[in-house]
Formats: sequence, C-alpha cells, structure tokens
Amino acid sequence: MKLMKRLVSLILVLALVFTLTACTTEKPKEDTNKESSSGETPDKSKEEAPAEGIELALITDVGTIDDKSFNQGAWEGVEAYAKEFGKTYKYYKPTEKSDSAYINSIELAVKAGAKVIVCPGFLFEVPIHTVQTQYPDVNFIILDGAPHPDGDYTPDIADNTYSIFYAEEEAGFLAGYSIVKEGYTKLGFMGGMAVPAVVRFGYGFVQGADYAAKELGLTEDVQVKYTYVGNFDATPENQAKASAWYNEGTEVIFACGGAVGNSVMKAAEAAGNKVIGVDVDQSGESETVITSSMKNLAKSVYDALTAYYANEFPGGTSVSLDATVEGVQLPMETSRFEKFTQADYDAIYGKVESKEVEILNDADVVEKSGKAAEEVTAADIPVEQVKVEVIK
Amino acid sequence: MKKNHNILELKGASSFFAALMAIVAGLLFGLVILLLSNAKEAFPAFLTILVGGFSAGARGIGQVIYYATPIIMTGLSVGFAFKTGLFNIGASGQFTCGAFIAIYIGIKWTFLPPEIHWLVALIGAMIAGAIWGSGPGLLKAFFNVNEVITSIMMNYIGMYLVNMTIVRTVYDALKNQSKSVAKSAVLPKAGLDKLFNTNNLNIGIIIAILSVIVIYIILQKTTFGYELKACGSNKNASKYAGINEKKSIVLSMVIAGALSGLGGGLLYLSGSGKYLQVLDILAPEGFNGISVALLGMSHPIGILFSGLFIAHLTVGGFNIQLYDFVPEVIDMIVAVIIYCGAFALLFKHLIIKFTSKPSLDSDINNKKENEKLKENINKLVITEETENLDNQKKDNKEEL
Amino acid sequence: MEYVIEMNNITKIFGNFKALDDVTFKVRKGEVHALLGENGAGKSTLMSVLFGLYQAEKGEIYINGKSVQINNPNDANNLNIGMVHQHFKLVHNFTVLESIILGRETVKNGLLKKDDARKKVMELSERYKLKIDPDALISDITVGMQQRVEILKMLYCDNDILIFDEPTAVLTPQEIEELMKIMKYLVSEGKSIIFISHKLNEIKEVADRCTVLRKGKCIGTVDVSTTTKEQMSEMMVGRKINFNIEKKDIKTGNAVLEVKNLTIKAKNSKKNVVNDVSFEVRKGEILCIAGIDGNGQSELVYGIAGLLPINDGKIVLNGKDITKESIRKRCLSGMAHIPEDRHKDGLVLDFDLQQNAVLQTYYEPRFQNHGLIKFNAVKEYAKKLIKQYDIRSPREEDSIVRNMSGGNQQKLIIARELDRDPEIVLAVQPTRGLDVGATEYIHKQLIAQRDEQKAVLLLSLELDEVMNVSDRILVIYEGEIVGELNPKEITVKELGLYMAGSKRGVNYEKKS
Repeated sequence: MKLMKRLVSLILVLALVFTLTACTTEKPKEDTNKESSSGETPDKSKEEAPAEGIELALITDVGTIDDKSFNQGAWEGVEAYAKEFGKTYKYYKPTEKSDSAYINSIELAVKAGAKVIVCPGFLFEVPIHTVQTQYPDVNFIILDGAPHPDGDYTPDIADNTYSIFYAEEEAGFLAGYSIVKEGYTKLGFMGGMAVPAVVRFGYGFVQGADYAAKELGLTEDVQVKYTYVGNFDATPENQAKASAWYNEGTEVIFACGGAVGNSVMKAAEAAGNKVIGVDVDQSGESETVITSSMKNLAKSVYDALTAYYANEFPGGTSVSLDATVEGVQLPMETSRFEKFTQADYDAIYGKVESKEVEILNDADVVEKSGKAAEEVTAADIPVEQVKVEVIK
Repeated sequence: MKKNHNILELKGASSFFAALMAIVAGLLFGLVILLLSNAKEAFPAFLTILVGGFSAGARGIGQVIYYATPIIMTGLSVGFAFKTGLFNIGASGQFTCGAFIAIYIGIKWTFLPPEIHWLVALIGAMIAGAIWGSGPGLLKAFFNVNEVITSIMMNYIGMYLVNMTIVRTVYDALKNQSKSVAKSAVLPKAGLDKLFNTNNLNIGIIIAILSVIVIYIILQKTTFGYELKACGSNKNASKYAGINEKKSIVLSMVIAGALSGLGGGLLYLSGSGKYLQVLDILAPEGFNGISVALLGMSHPIGILFSGLFIAHLTVGGFNIQLYDFVPEVIDMIVAVIIYCGAFALLFKHLIIKFTSKPSLDSDINNKKENEKLKENINKLVITEETENLDNQKKDNKEEL
Repeated sequence: MEYVIEMNNITKIFGNFKALDDVTFKVRKGEVHALLGENGAGKSTLMSVLFGLYQAEKGEIYINGKSVQINNPNDANNLNIGMVHQHFKLVHNFTVLESIILGRETVKNGLLKKDDARKKVMELSERYKLKIDPDALISDITVGMQQRVEILKMLYCDNDILIFDEPTAVLTPQEIEELMKIMKYLVSEGKSIIFISHKLNEIKEVADRCTVLRKGKCIGTVDVSTTTKEQMSEMMVGRKINFNIEKKDIKTGNAVLEVKNLTIKAKNSKKNVVNDVSFEVRKGEILCIAGIDGNGQSELVYGIAGLLPINDGKIVLNGKDITKESIRKRCLSGMAHIPEDRHKDGLVLDFDLQQNAVLQTYYEPRFQNHGLIKFNAVKEYAKKLIKQYDIRSPREEDSIVRNMSGGNQQKLIIARELDRDPEIVLAVQPTRGLDVGATEYIHKQLIAQRDEQKAVLLLSLELDEVMNVSDRILVIYEGEIVGELNPKEITVKELGLYMAGSKRGVNYEKKS
C-alpha cells in the first residue's frame, strides 16, 4: 500500500511539472503557430526568416553526415564557407527516406531561418521542385540533380534553385589516364549499378586508359574488366568478386559504387593490389587507394555560396561542372603515384580543360554506336588500344 | 486515496495507467539524455517533443497521422497475434511484401478503371501480407515450430525477395528504387489534404481506423474471436472444447499478416514520394509495430492511440533539430521513450499487485502471473535483441 | 500446561480482506495438533505468519513462553520451527544427503565436510526410523521417500516444531500409513507437530487436538479422541455433512460407452501406456477406474475423449463408432469430460466465468447470431449455472476464473459439463484438492447423473471416493486392467494390493 501511495504521488508530481512547463512556455508556442500558419502561404514567407536564424542549412540524404560521400563532401563546403565568413550553419536529418520527409526537413530549416539550403543528391529532385515555388526567398543548391515534378523527368528549375551536375566522364578519364601512365595495364571497373553517374565514370575511365595507351605507344592492349555489381553495399559477394579479379591478374580496380569500394579495398589489402577511389578523396580509407576519381563537391558548394553572398546566385540554371571550373580532379597530394607526376597531371588536366581531348559521355556513346540505349555497353566505346571485357 | 483505488480497479484502467506511467518514465529518461547532451537548451527542446505534432497547426497533425498510419497497422498486426497467443515478429516482412504488391499493382495494372485501381492494389497488399504471415502460422500449427524464429526468417526472405523482384519488374535504375505508381493507384485524399494542408494525407488513416474497429469487433464480439482468444490463452483447453486449434493458429497469423501487408500498401500508396528501396534493411515499421502493440497493451483501441503517440514523438523529435542537438541524440531519445513503452506490462503488473486484494488464491495466481510476466519479458528480450541486431546491421551499413 | 507455540489474537489483513480475524492457536509440547479448515479458511496464512512469510497486523506470538518477533523464515528456523511444504522444495539432481544438508552445510577451509554430515544424517535416520539411501538421486526416489528427505532435513536443522502442510495429498495409501507412524514416533521423541489437513480420517487417526478455522475465524480447538468426524466437519463447513453417500440401488441398462482393445503408445518409447484395454460403461452406473497415479489411467481417458491419438482399438458411444471422430463431434454425441487438470485443460483461466461457461457451446444458435456473440444470452446462461450449481465467486459471472477458488472452478466445470445433458461423463479426479463441502457436492452430482440412467466413468486416486461412490471398480496397473471388483465386497486393503500390482483378477492374467 505504501508503494501505491508513492506511485500516485509520483504521478501527481509529474503532472504538476508538466503543467508548469506548459504554462511558462506558452508564448513561444504561439509564435511557432504564427510562423507555421504563415508558412502555408508562399507570399508571406518573407516574415519567416527571423533576423537571427541559421542561414546555411544542409539536409542530409539518408546516410549520416560523415558518410565519406555526398553528405560529407557538401557539408565540408558549407562548413568551410561559414567558418571563413562567420555565418551560422546547421544540418538537418530527415525522419525517413521519402519526399515528404525531405520537404519537412526543408521546412524546418526554413523555420530556423535558412537562406540557402544545400541538398546533396538526386533524391531531392522532386522535393525541391515542390519547395522552390513555396519558398521563393529561400535559395536551394542541389547536387547531382535538377528539380522535376514527380513522374515527369523534364527539369523545371526556378530562379531560386541552382542545380549542379558533374562531368563524371572527365573524372573517370583522369583516373584511367593516370593509372595507365603509372604503368598498369590490367585494369578493372566495378560499378555499383548502371545509373548514369556511374556509367559516365566508367566510360571516361576506359577512354582515359585508351588515351594513355596510345600516348605511350603500347604494343599490347590494355585489358579492362568491366562490370556493375548490382548494389551499392559492402557485401562478401562483392569482396569475393574483387578477390577473384585480383587473382586472375587484375592490378587495379576502379571501385565506383559507394560502399562497394570498401569490399574492393579489403580484397586489395589481401591481394596486395591497388584500388581507385571515387567521389571524394578516399586515400584515408585504405593504403591500397592509389588515387581517387573526385568530384569537387566541397568546392562547388563553397563557390555557390560565395556567389550567393556576392548577389550573383546562378539561380534557374543547371551546370555540369567539368575541368574548366575544377569540378573534377584527382587529389594529387594524397595520391600514391610513383611515376605519374604532378607535371603529367597538369598537362592532361590542361588538355581536358581545353577540350583538346574529346571525352564521350554516356549519351555520346549511345549516339555514336547507333544502337538502342538499352543495348549499349562499355564494349561500344570507340577505343583502339583497350580491350574491354564486359562481365554481366 | 480511496478514489484512486477504485479507479485503478476498473477494467482496463490499469492498462491505461500502466501505459501512461511507461510513457512518463520514458519521457523523464529522455529529459535526462537531453540534459546530459546540452543542458542549456534541454527544457525548450523537451517541450518541443511534448508539443510534437501540435507545434505546426493542422499541418503538424497531418504529419503525425501520416507517420502513425503504417505503425498502427503493424501494431495492430502484432497486437492481434499477441491476443491470440502468437508473437508475430514477422510484421516487417509482411509489411514489405504488402508494400511491394501494392506498388507493383499500382505501376503495372493500369488497365484497371482508375476508381478501383488503388483498392485492388490495397487488396493485393493484404493478400501478400496474409500469405507471408501464413507460413509461420502453418509451421507453428502443424509442426510446432516456434513462430518467433520462423517469422524472423520470413522477414529476411521477404526483404531479399522483394529487392530481387523490384529490380526485375518495377525498377527505377536512375535512383536505385521502385518507380512511381500511377496516379490512379494513389489513395484518394477525400479532402483530408485540404483539411490538414498537407499532400500526404489520404483515406489511409480512415482505413487504419476501420481496421482497428474491425479487429476490435472480431476479438470482442464474435465467436471467431472467442475461438482465437481461447486458443491463445489456453491451447489445451481449446482443444478440449473441440475448437480446431490448428486452424485458429493459422488464421491468426493470416489475419496478422494481412494487417501488416495492408499497412505496407497504405504507406507506399500514400503519394508522399516514398519508394521501395533496394536495400538490405528490414522495414523498421514492423519493429515499431511491436512497440506500438506493447504500449497499447495489444488492445486495438490502445494501439490506435499508442501509434498516434509514437508518431507524435517522432514529429516532436524531428522538430528539436531546431535546437542544438545532434540528430543521433534525437533518435536516441525517441528510442528510449518507445523502449520504456515496452515496460507498460511491468507497470501494469505493479499496479495490479498494489491494488488487488491478495487472498490465498491470489498468491498462487501471482506466482502464475509472475511466470507469465517472465515469459513475456523473455519474449521481449528476444525482440529487443533482434531489433538491436537489425539496427547494428543498419548502422554498419551507414558507416560504410 | 506448557505450550510450545502460542499465537494470540492474530489478525492479518490483505487490502479490505481479513484473511485472519482474531485467531488464537496454541500447540502443546509433544502433541500432533491438527489445523483443519476448508480451502481459503486461513490455514496457510496462519502458518505463513508463524513461519515469518507474513507479518500480522495484530496479535502476539510466544514460542516456549517467550514473546518473539518472526520477520522472516530465518527467524523461524532459529526458533527451531521447520516446515514440510505441500510441494517439496528439493533439487532433483542432488543426492538425498546433499538435499538434506543444503543450506546448512558444514564447511572446513571452504570444503564441504560431507562425512560429518553423513554421520549425523544416518544417526537421525536410525533414531527416527526414517530409512533412506543417502546416495540416491532425488529424481530416482518415490514421492514418499522425498517426503522423508524433507522431514530429515527439518530434523537435521534441529527443529522441534514441525509443520506438515497437507502432507498426504501426494501419497499412496501405504505411504500415508507409513507417514502416520513416523509422525507418531516423532511426537513420542519430544517433537511437536502441526498437521494441516482437511482429511478427517487422517486427523482422527494421528492428531491429539484439532483447531478448526473457517473463513479466517477460529471456530475452536477440540480434543480429537472425544470428537466425532461429523462434529469436526460441521465446525469446518458450518453445516452438517453427510459422509455416508446415499445411493439407491438401481438397475443398470445398456452399455453407453464401449472401449475395445484400446492401446496407446507412450510418446517417446515403444512401451504401451495403455495396453489392450477393454470395458464398457452402462446406463445407470458409476464405473471407477482405480490405480496409483501414472499407470495409464490419464492417457486412457485422454484417448477416449479424443485429446490423445490412439494406436489401436475402438471406442463406441451409444452404438456409434467414434474412434475417428473429432473432439467436437464426441461432445455433440453426448460425451462430457471433467478433466484431470482443470487449469490446463478445463478452463481458460484468463477468461471470465461466463466465457468459460460456454466453452463448448458458444457456437450454438442460442449463443450467437451470424458469428456475433449474444452477450446477454451468455450472461443469462452463466447466471443460471451460478444459481443452479451454487458457484461462488467475487464478481459473479464477471469474475476472472483465475481469481476463483479451486472448488468453485471445479463446480463451474461440472456445471458446464452436466448442463449439456450428456450420455456419459468422464470424471477424472473430480475432487482433487477440494474441501469436504465441495467434494460432497460433486459426489452428489455424479450420483444424480447415475440415478437419471446416465453413465459415469470415474477416475480417482482417492480410495474413499473409489469405495463410496462407484458401483463397479476396474483396477488399472501399468496400462492394463488387472481386476474387476465390487466395492461392496472388498476391503480397502485388498484394493490396495490390486493397485500395487501384487494381485490380479481371475480373467485378467498378465499379457505377455
């Protein structure tokens, strides 16, 4: 009985505490109500951004902020700019992976006073299409995607949205070129899935290898094993496949598919072979990473933010960042090359930048081959001194 | 004191108070975590959690309803099975299968008249979930294989099978996920979207509430429910009374599966821009369903409210990103509150113990109830373990 | 007169419920003092207060004339009070010796001094004539033996006041006789014994004085030798109990149930638990199957009821072969079954009374309409049963069956089964664990069935019941019927011999 009494009193005390807290904080509650009600109509949304809010926001994709990929790359750009110029910044994590959850996160960021919202990844295409009209005074930067309505893939970019793509084929080209220059001739390409970005990396990689082989005047063909593993995960199957390739004589594998890289690195560590990283500088992941085929996420975000604060925000446009604007690169400082020098890199980068070499992207290859898009494989890339073995 | 005493003795009241105490305990625990991670903003953030979906007017309530709908369905599935003596840990797999069939029909069967397209897709989802639930049911009934083990395995089989089938049938290679369903397959909004000023709301919540009512009637009012409950409560006595206990077990699992499957259909046809991902992760809605069922004491009406409450917390937790907390802390707090919800049973036991008159008979009964409680807690531990396992798996993936 | 125990004016309250109301209980040195009462009368509560499991709200306890405070069982042990529980608290894979010294190990340098202990145990065993094998495993010895181990354990702790909580419930007649001897001997050696029971025969045989409790109140303490059984039972129940079960002679009719060559194999071995059993039950008779527990009688009934698959044989009910029928069909053909384990088979404990009342009939049109239960009809029916069969429970038809007393649970089952107007009733130990009043009631009901020209198959382990209630006895031993007896013509002793397997009837020679 004693305990019962205590129990009841505990409940009462708690009830008291809650009512008290509810009373003391009633005011801010009203405020939030006002905010949200005004948020429902776009024309009033100006009131929304409080003077002291958090100006720069990033919405994470499903992964964490330190995902060694898009989230992290873009966040580094936001962080660098904000620290340099003393801006407030914050990232928001959606509750689930759905368009409405992304929209909710964006709304929360707006509520907190965001002026620029960075959205890394194509998953934000549809959500941004909704919010760009809803919040005309907020600016959006979307990486690797362009806003479009649900079910219709025609881009529809409003004036407050800036869409950034990357010329992955150039990044792949640089990697392929450097690795053949380094002296490797038995290469592998292990993509995650045949999504356009991965395909562009792969096609560029093959062309880069071919270009280097021609330049070196190699008598024997460069071998490229080429496959898409069908997922973006670190699985034992992927590792086994990579190990098999290394055993069959492959010297370097370009691991192009998120966590697939981890599997390939493990296999490389066991076999004592090399790996080429992707998207961001992955040299820290493993000693076996000889170089990384990078998109310059941080820089592109930094540049976009700079433009915004200089009142030159390139809203309404979609760009494909290539070598001309340092959108792609190899991280030469951290690369583990022995023969391929900075001078070699600068030379080829110059050629890529000036478009002196023609690098075909996925669409170009389809066009040249004259086949239906579904039937085109890496074997259709017009190369002379590279033998591509497509493995399904 | 006297009055309290009487209230607590009322039928069902002890369940309600137990759930309430579990929630309060969870909230206090959450507050401690908030205080530890950022004492300065802990109290306003805590208030934000409490206010939850009510912070953003009708729109916030709309959000709560959206998150609540699928977990009410999986909660109902788990709770229904529990009432009939089965532990359906396979809600996740049934949910996924239902979701897949719903979007498959939604994408491919465009030859259907638009008025019934969504309905057919939902029925397909129910059937898929029912089939997935029947497996463990059949094995339990005819070979006495523990349904916990089989339904966990069915989760994985379902997930991988659906992943595989998506890639072969309704795959959007650009985004590594399922394609969008046809407009006619998206659930009708019935004006709810305007009422709550959000695009995600549709008749899904109405279907969920109807399901709650139907399950309530089945369990409480029908001879069929009587049979199922009798089997769940005492299999031997049911057999003795001439009830076909094998049939009852299979039907229980089939209905539980259908509920989960329907939940999957309701979420993925809601038009919120959610797509089935080709990822090796079990649908979390299935496991949240277990928490919902536990917090709701497996009672259909209780489940409806606990589902709404957990969704309310989710929205509240999401909103505290406005303060200086890392999202991981928020996930932790919501998890802790739900975790404490699982102790509702323990609190109920305490309440009963301190309000009932222990006579000599009830001494024996207490012993028996203790055993029952132990059993339930053991089951719980199994759940938590598997859930942890899944989370770990998920975490590992995210790290990579 | 010197009292070893004086419990004066003990009151124990649980919530609003007075479990003990001003009870005074005094035990003299060197006597067997019986504590008599129906289930729920407060016997166990009183002993729990003495043993320190509960604290009384009011009252004083004196041990050997000194006022004491007993807060827990350890205090009780220190006062040399020991208890043999109804369900033994023994570790199955321990030896007898280990079990006796458990909790009282003498230790030297962290090692057990088993030799000293063995010596002491053997001395005690000699002295009190409690023969045991100290190295046998508990799981290998009989229930009677286990009880001896418990008694020795108390003696090993030098207890002078021994409490026996319903010690005969689990024993065979022969073992009971042994126990009585042991108790008498213990008393002659200067121990004092409190003997909790509701079996008047045993009290009459062994006890010196008897305190009767009823509904938490002390009715009085009487001298057993000068009090009749009838008087004691009247004190216990509050009304006159008729011990001589009145049975008119009636004519038996045709066979209702015929069992032919029934064989049931044991679950995990090739042995037949029921081996080629044949018999018939006729209209207007109570056929009793007697036997020591575990000789296949439970399986036999399970087989007849359809709860256990049978391997061979035929079951015929009213001329209809029901060997392969479902349980429900058997029910509908007029078979009622009062199961051995009412908690396991007979009731859904978490359901309320009314839901249990329609366990086999819920689907009948009178209780449902298109699958929807007619709650009012069910309620009315439950009310009718409650009234007709005098089922008592705290909240009438809404009581959760788990919270009802054993006697009333059993009454509910009997009400439910008999109200279906069955042709044959399979009654398995229908009075197990019930007090005198409930037992009398159930016997009356069974006899009423018989008088209505219905058949009853009674299965009982209690010899009194077997002898008094049945019209015909079949003795089962190791799965076989070993004799058919007429209760009017044999003695209990004789019956015991059949049950123990040392005697067989003329037509029941051992099968090879």
